[in-house]
Amino acid sequence: MFRPVPVVLLLASALASAHAQNEAQAQTAPLDLAAFTRLQQELTPDPAAPWRSVPWQLDLLAAQRAAAASHKPLFVWAMDGHPLGCT
Amino acid sequence: MLDRASTFANPGLLELLRTRFVPVAIDQAYQRRQKDSEGDFYRRIAAQSPRHDFDSTTQGFYVATAAGELLLYNNNRDPAKVERLVRDALARFAQRAPGGQETAPLEVGEVDRRWHPKVPEGGFALRVHGKVLGGYPAPEDDWQRILQTAISRDNLWVTGAEHRALVRGELPQSLLRRIAHFHLVDGTRGEPPMWKPEEVQRIEIVRQGDRLQGEVVLQTEDGARRFAAQVLGFVEVIEGKVTRFDLVARGLFRGEGTYTKNGPPGDFPFAVSLTLADGSDVADAIPPQGSRGWIEGYLR
Repeated sequence: MFRPVPVVLLLASALASAHAQNEAQAQTAPLDLAAFTRLQQELTPDPAAPWRSVPWQLDLLAAQRAAAASHKPLFVWAMDGHPLGCT
Repeated sequence: MLDRASTFANPGLLELLRTRFVPVAIDQAYQRRQKDSEGDFYRRIAAQSPRHDFDSTTQGFYVATAAGELLLYNNNRDPAKVERLVRDALARFAQRAPGGQETAPLEVGEVDRRWHPKVPEGGFALRVHGKVLGGYPAPEDDWQRILQTAISRDNLWVTGAEHRALVRGELPQSLLRRIAHFHLVDGTRGEPPMWKPEEVQRIEIVRQGDRLQGEVVLQTEDGARRFAAQVLGFVEVIEGKVTRFDLVARGLFRGEGTYTKNGPPGDFPFAVSLTLADGSDVADAIPPQGSRGWIEGYLR
């Protein structure tokens, strides 16, 4: 049996589609100096992010030497892709 | 990124790491393969964990003594759980070494060159960041919110010959190809797939004085993954040295990789930025993701 789609749903769908279209158009607008500057800022990570407060070492042997000298255990954050770099 | 913004945003855990541990961060794809002292030490620790098959990933968090005794292995991200496990491991460490235990520092010996690449002589490194600019549905929880707003991080290495060409006012094709193949990728949700040579459909960037401008189109054969972007950048040279290299690529991205699932549906706005690495960030010294075990291929 045919069920009419509520007008509100049609409107919501049309608005969402228009929004996506506007967003896509905004991204394909010329990449001018203003957009360049804004994007550079937006893509710069927070230098005060909490994980940065830890004195991470990158060399496991250097860390072993430091652990031996300071009588502390090692904490090894071992990932696929460097945890401080890739991704 | 998920770990940096969740597990390692826990103040209690961070305080422990700063004061009670020697913290080290590694891409275990290197150490589990290295034929040298560092590789031997890593495998000695990891072999005591459930991740002792060195032909596959051994990722996780390890707590170990300087002698290589494993006190904790965990691959859970929950911040409170990780802090509790780390405190438990610290208690076990204190029980094993009351008053401190003397352990000899390991000799470095000859390093496995394949897994110790360095920034090319006369070259330099760039920081590379990527971000999805929109297109996600509203996040349902904090994990999704973190992923949706993540900024990826990688490094790009420029060779000495390319540096000299940039100083002369040129724009080396090898550098453009490297940017396209290895760095115009969406790594915001995990390790991204790189572009194959045949997937670089167009890379037209010209240099006029200090200004770089153009466009790139990258696309898999089936069209399932694609990035078409405009590019704008600036290069400055002072006294024979590149002192500025800023570049932004912005466009529409489509698709995902094995380790970058759950991206926005369809085409979504995406941008990548490049800027000089000045050595002030510990991550500036990390080799490019695309160079893993194959630095010659990355730099060619």
